[in-house]
Amino acid sequence: MSKYEYIPEPALVKGNHDFASITKLVTDVNLRPTPKNWYLAMLPANALLGLLLVSIGYLIWEGTGIWGLNNPVGWGWAIINFVWWVGIGHAGTLISAILFLFRQDWRTAINRFAEAMTIFAVMCAGVFPAIHVGRIWVIYWVFPVPNQMAMWPNFNSPLLWDVFAVSTYFTVSLLFWYVGLVPDLATLRDKATDKIRKVAYGLFALGWTGSSRAWWNYEKAYMILAGLATPLVLSVHTIVSFDFAVSMIPGWHTTIFPPYFVAGAIFSGFAMVLTLMIVARKIYGMKDIMTDDHMEKMNIIIMVTGSMVGFAYMMEFFIAWYSGVEYEKAIFMLRATGPYAWAYWIMMFCNVISPQVFWFKKLRRSVGFTFFISIVVNIGMWFERFVITVTSLSTDYLPSSWDYYSPTAWDVLTYVGTFGLFFTMFLLFLRFLPMIAIAEVKLVMPQGDPHNYDDETQEYHLHVEEVPQPKAVKA
Amino acid sequence: MSHKPTITDSLQFPADSKIPRVLLIVGAVGLLATAIGFATDLEQSLYSYLVSFVFFTGIGLASVFMVMFHHITKSKWGVVVRRIPETFGGNLKWWSLAFLPILGGMTVLYHHWTDPTLFDPSSANFDYIVAKKESYLNVPFFIIRQVIYFAIWGYVGHKLYKASVELEKTGDWGITTLMRKISAPAIPLFGLSIAFASFDWLMSLDPHWFSTMFGVYFFAISFQSFWAIMILMVFFLQSRGLLKNTIGQVHIYDLGAWLFAFTVFYAYIAFSQFLLIYYANLPEETLWFYERLEGSWKYIAYGLLLFRFVLPFLTLLNREQKHRKNVLRFVAIVVVIMHYLEIYWIAMPMLSEHGINFSWIDLTSFFGLGGIFFWMFFKKFQQNSMIPENDPKLDACLEKTYHQ
Repeated sequence: MSKYEYIPEPALVKGNHDFASITKLVTDVNLRPTPKNWYLAMLPANALLGLLLVSIGYLIWEGTGIWGLNNPVGWGWAIINFVWWVGIGHAGTLISAILFLFRQDWRTAINRFAEAMTIFAVMCAGVFPAIHVGRIWVIYWVFPVPNQMAMWPNFNSPLLWDVFAVSTYFTVSLLFWYVGLVPDLATLRDKATDKIRKVAYGLFALGWTGSSRAWWNYEKAYMILAGLATPLVLSVHTIVSFDFAVSMIPGWHTTIFPPYFVAGAIFSGFAMVLTLMIVARKIYGMKDIMTDDHMEKMNIIIMVTGSMVGFAYMMEFFIAWYSGVEYEKAIFMLRATGPYAWAYWIMMFCNVISPQVFWFKKLRRSVGFTFFISIVVNIGMWFERFVITVTSLSTDYLPSSWDYYSPTAWDVLTYVGTFGLFFTMFLLFLRFLPMIAIAEVKLVMPQGDPHNYDDETQEYHLHVEEVPQPKAVKA
Repeated sequence: MSHKPTITDSLQFPADSKIPRVLLIVGAVGLLATAIGFATDLEQSLYSYLVSFVFFTGIGLASVFMVMFHHITKSKWGVVVRRIPETFGGNLKWWSLAFLPILGGMTVLYHHWTDPTLFDPSSANFDYIVAKKESYLNVPFFIIRQVIYFAIWGYVGHKLYKASVELEKTGDWGITTLMRKISAPAIPLFGLSIAFASFDWLMSLDPHWFSTMFGVYFFAISFQSFWAIMILMVFFLQSRGLLKNTIGQVHIYDLGAWLFAFTVFYAYIAFSQFLLIYYANLPEETLWFYERLEGSWKYIAYGLLLFRFVLPFLTLLNREQKHRKNVLRFVAIVVVIMHYLEIYWIAMPMLSEHGINFSWIDLTSFFGLGGIFFWMFFKKFQQNSMIPENDPKLDACLEKTYHQ
């Protein structure tokens, strides 16, 4: 007998499912009458969305003076929220595109779901740069539109690169999501019994027949979009990090920012996917598809990316000291001990310490605990952006102008309001679109594996892996 | 029903092969010639030696990293080629001896921070910036750190090699659990130790300069060249008629895809580091690049852009090219040469400020250390099967096919 236990690969779909039962499980959510609880959930989501609209309306009416911005802190909650939401969006693309390129079959259970989250998170993120400009009715000035005022955007500014990066990213994510949806929309069209659904789903299914030619084109398109989305997702958070890092502000100007921001984005995004997944799979009874094994894998990614973020914090701190530059040293000491030390230590605890609990298998398989940590991580990642943005500005080069920054009620309400936008969109998605990529899940079931069919009779035999007995070997 | 794939190749590297002996001779002659260099031009020799040492050590470190990733992700794609990096990693414990000449000559090589007058405020040599770093940049702590690095690397590399051989001999699949138990905690240790080693070996040559990205940058350059070396190793074995049917088109394609991926990763990291420093244009940082874009150094700088990124990127972008042997061999050789030149370009401007000044000692130390590095590799490679037999994922790896 071996000293160590061999752990075989767990099945990706639990329970005794076949293709038909998977289709039924997922499409029933969309085809049955709207449950009362859905309306009950929609109510607070819509209320918060209303709050967002009121906050934005008042902002446009009154101007950005309603926010807590002042000298020396000219960047506050708006950019923090923007970076936070965009970061959350990154997990969806990681799961759907990068894990696809790495042939990670387990992604099929969560990719649809995570991509939807990406799109809605990017929408929430996009709100902030749009409204912070003050005169939103001339927002098109950010684009290089020929005009008689000789106004031209500053192409040297990463803020402009952001405009292009985020809008391209949103477009490609949306296309990628939609292409993946087409076969499932056709399934819904075929399953629907009423006329409205048949027409609506049929319209967006683009006449999908499931012929092998259609699949061939579909897979090509899917591959190309995955290949495009991968560099895009990296570019987005890289450019977000450039917003800070190209400057000369101590604490912002540090070369590790690009990969560190990308790691942080994936970290927070996975946490958000987990938060939503744990709730959704319980309510909709999807535990056979979104299993505890999926949760465990995601927790490992949270641990890895959390440690990468911790690595970056250490590098920043060490190099700030090693550089010998007084301003760099001062800002890092002020972060840990200055007026915002409370935020710094929240960030450290939530982002670096808390994910380390996932070294323990018991904890990364505990649903309640995972749910708790997933929220802790997102709090931590919000504070990371807060620490970066605010500490470096509030204690800048001139000690005489140092000041403590506090948000106003409008800052808080706008941020809380974006959750209304997010959850409204998400609830609509859960209600009307298949939350699981049905066709892709079928491919990773044992029934979808040609090895499990007899060569001659075509009969289905589940192939079971046999673990060999270890041989005794003389040392 | 699935059929168990059969292996038709011999899995033993021929015991009577002349390759190890030839490599040993190349290594010994190269090192002897380098020893003459040490006697005649000490500073040049130390720099040349350092560049080659970093080159080969980087490949060894990336090897262990790849093995660890392969274990913790329970991958199957690379089982047939995994013995190669395992062997590189298993040799790291002995390879640490190759660091001794650098330790011996460190007061010459790192005289920008080992000279005691730099820290003496009354001296004309006093360096205000370096003096602030004394608690990190001092000889005893430097030596302690090197011992820690090599202890970690040597131990983990050895353990992973041993576990793999044990799995091969006993067929005990439970050992895969042990491999993951070693790899998981070793990855953060490797991440930190490689970053600090890169600070110690290369960044501290110019103790005024600093970049938080430098550890990641060193990781990226080493990893990109690692894939190129892997491709060349596989082609070399196959040119000798070894593993010709075992390592198939799909496995070569995977290596090509990795080379492509790390080409992009390298460019991303290297360009981000450059752009951020260039853009902010702060004198304490930007000087490092300024010196490296001056004189004939600029040819290497632009050469890196063209031959380390643009050429491999455009060549390997198309899927079909990622398994074409001639294309891959060409790109891999270019990447390996550029990797050497990149380390050269990082280190050497401290010795020869105004331009490239190749020395014969560059060549002798490269062939000397390279000969020994690959001699050690083939000696170890001969001892066991060339692929990890009995690995639970071996059949799945062999069954993989390349889809048009």
